[in-house]
Amino acid sequence: MPILQVKDVTKVYEGKVTNRAINQLSFEVAKGEFLAVMGPSGSGKTTLLNLISTIDKPTSGEIIFNYIKPQNLNKTELAFFRRRELGFIFQDFNLLPMLTVEENIVLPLTLDNQPVEVMEERLNTLVESLDLKSFLYKRPNEISGGQAQRVAIARALIHRPTIILADEPTGNLDSNNSREVLELLSKINKERKTTIVMVTHDPIAASFCDRVLFIKDGEFFNEIYRDDRRQTFFQRILNVLSLLGGGQVGDLSSIRLP
Amino acid sequence: MTFHQFAYRNVIRNLRIYAAFFMASFFSVFVFFIYSMLMFHPKIDRGFLGNVPILWMVVAEIILVLFTWFFIFYSMKAFLEARSKEFGILLHLGMERRQLSKLVFLETIIIGVMSIVLGIIFGYSFSKFFFMIVREILMLDELPLYLSWEPFVLTFAVYLSAFIVISMVSVHFSPQRKIIDLMQGPKGGNYTVTYTKTRTLLGIVLILLGYWLSIVMTRTSLYSFSILIPILITFGTFYFFSDSTQYIVESLKKKKIVYWKNSRMLPLAEQTFILKNNGKMFFVVTMVSTLAFLSVGLLSTLSSYTSQYDKLNPLGLIYKGHIDNPYEGTHVSTLVSQLEERGLSYHLTRFTVKKQTSSYTQYEVEVFRESDINSLLFSYGYPMVRLSEGEGMFIPYTEESIKKLSKRTIETVLVENNIPIKIDQVYPKLIFPGSIVSLNSIIISDEDFAKLVNPYKGYPNVEPGYHLFTFDIPQWIETTDIGLSIQQNVSAEYLKDEYLLPYYFENAGLNYSYILSTYSLFTLVGLLVAAVFLLAAGSFIYFKLHTNLENEKRKFDALKRMGISDNELKSLVTKHLFPQFFLPWGVALSHSLFAFIAIQKVLKNVANISIVKELIFALLFLVLIQVIYFYLIRWRYIAHVRD
Repeated sequence: MPILQVKDVTKVYEGKVTNRAINQLSFEVAKGEFLAVMGPSGSGKTTLLNLISTIDKPTSGEIIFNYIKPQNLNKTELAFFRRRELGFIFQDFNLLPMLTVEENIVLPLTLDNQPVEVMEERLNTLVESLDLKSFLYKRPNEISGGQAQRVAIARALIHRPTIILADEPTGNLDSNNSREVLELLSKINKERKTTIVMVTHDPIAASFCDRVLFIKDGEFFNEIYRDDRRQTFFQRILNVLSLLGGGQVGDLSSIRLP
Repeated sequence: MTFHQFAYRNVIRNLRIYAAFFMASFFSVFVFFIYSMLMFHPKIDRGFLGNVPILWMVVAEIILVLFTWFFIFYSMKAFLEARSKEFGILLHLGMERRQLSKLVFLETIIIGVMSIVLGIIFGYSFSKFFFMIVREILMLDELPLYLSWEPFVLTFAVYLSAFIVISMVSVHFSPQRKIIDLMQGPKGGNYTVTYTKTRTLLGIVLILLGYWLSIVMTRTSLYSFSILIPILITFGTFYFFSDSTQYIVESLKKKKIVYWKNSRMLPLAEQTFILKNNGKMFFVVTMVSTLAFLSVGLLSTLSSYTSQYDKLNPLGLIYKGHIDNPYEGTHVSTLVSQLEERGLSYHLTRFTVKKQTSSYTQYEVEVFRESDINSLLFSYGYPMVRLSEGEGMFIPYTEESIKKLSKRTIETVLVENNIPIKIDQVYPKLIFPGSIVSLNSIIISDEDFAKLVNPYKGYPNVEPGYHLFTFDIPQWIETTDIGLSIQQNVSAEYLKDEYLLPYYFENAGLNYSYILSTYSLFTLVGLLVAAVFLLAAGSFIYFKLHTNLENEKRKFDALKRMGISDNELKSLVTKHLFPQFFLPWGVALSHSLFAFIAIQKVLKNVANISIVKELIFALLFLVLIQVIYFYLIRWRYIAHVRD
């Protein structure tokens, strides 16, 4: 049984210019899978993520989490659903500047009124596995980008969500920090069997995943599975990307090839 | 599009941002203009009310202007901060700093002139209405609307110069930030904690010391304390907001069981920084609110004084004259005929009061006859006095003195005529106003009074007694024009060095109308100033919130993704706003409460009035206004962060 099902989802933004951001998109995510969603700018990646995170509703079609249909929940139930079932990692971290690192991590649990002992116990395990000890009592503006993203990951994990949604988690990081964060994510995926859906347009980031889903102009374009070697997987991602660029295979600059 | 058009469009299209600033300036121009209209009024100008109210009005105007300057300066700074991203873009596109200053200057002048013009127009259209109120209060026949250039020029000059100077100063003295910083938008504030234990302690100790002093204050220490207490409280409040509050929140945060709870963590964590970054503003708001509370409280005190006036002055008219006063007959008959002309019922009692020396104190004592007093008591409807030979009774001079005198028993001899008197009772109600009878007045029986043949030993150097004519008039408020000529002689004589007239006259109705109108004018002036203060104090907080709105939106966006329900969002906003609104007010309330405890004690000594009831009413009213204002701002705030 897949943990997340996206069935024929269409999202139309009505306004002065009607815009079909997602068109008849269907896919499934299995438990413990690490999925990357790729596509050029404006392909509907962020819209898709917003739909999955239930802060936006599809115009038609449905999204099912483990038998739960968020469309049928009211606003308060949705809030409770998000806080228990979903974990978020953002491009710009979205850590709250007035809280220390420690407080930022336990924030989802305080929102859910968990007892302090539970918070401390879970915090301690995370601090160890994510190596946050050295800056636990600092404020977000006193730590580096890589450290901040690690904190954000800890915050996304502490309430043990069914699925983690990551929006360009490496978008603001340099190559070393990016690699660190991605290795961390795939380690979490393997060790804890956590399901992760990551939106990105960085092929290196995508090459850490089990499967890459390509969308273009809101429609399904292609998908490829990981093989034994990351290097060849990366190469295949690049090939699909070059096809994505509007049919002209040659317009992908050679500089982006390693 | 020229540069001027750009500035103009900026203002017109951003009117929503400017609305609060505009409204506050508009309202203060409005109030200022109406005051000036009253101040320059030809009728009032000619000394109708004497100099005191005019002086008070000038003081109020000056306070208003000073405060407005500060207020405009503060809101200017908040705006520049809130619009830093826009300025960053402009500078990025190649605007010079000089041009930016010019832009800000032009925009301020546009807003300023708009609020001045509108304020004056509204002020002028409302001044007829205002004059009608003033006319009623001052009991004038008419207070016509007039047109003269002075109020217009004064208002325009004062406010235009304020806008010009402040817009120039605030641009020049605002710290220059790098373009790249400006582009990031308003500074999120500094997130480090800065408090020292000494100053934390100092804040609390100074305030408590001030409170303690105001409790132990007595009449003798009034002057030294009334200088010391405000200084203590001012410094105490400053340190309280800069350090003590931070300390309290930080120590709360150390208790995880309290801190790591549902919607407590965020508001608590924020409070430290809100308090730290806005400490100075909270300090100003507190002091301003205290001033406003005090003026409202004092006004209600005055109104309580006027409402107790008739209790303190039971008689309508009092005419007091020397025994050989040549005008006595004509004056009294004038009064009587005037009263009859107006159709006012009255009860006239004639007293002959004799002075004697008491052997007990060796001082003079004023002696009243039993039947004279009974005649007045009869018209009051009070119980009569029954005295037999050798008995005496004290006449109370204040409400307080009744209690004091009732415990005293004195055996004395009226020295001049060698009549022994035993005084062991006091009349249980106030018969005469305190100004008429001496502190040493007694009633004796008619038999004893008849024996007072020998005059006071000081005679003929000192008057041996006096005649007193009292008019008990049920409709005493309507006697304002009775005995005006006598009243004028008396008041003219008061201005001389020595009071030489053989008579004295008091018209309670007329005095009451003077007191009432003066106090009403005070009230009017005070209430308007207080209104401006309170409005401004609220606007300070509003501006600060507005500046931070973008950051707040981002914060709530992240929280919404992480999953907070609508109710939780509301409760977060409430907890975020509540301390900002009610901490300064709460401190101001407690400051004014202690100030009133002191004032109440002083007043009890001086004027014998209680102000508790009026005060509670006035303060409750203020709290109500604040609660309404809080919900208004909360409603706007939630609407902003929700979308």
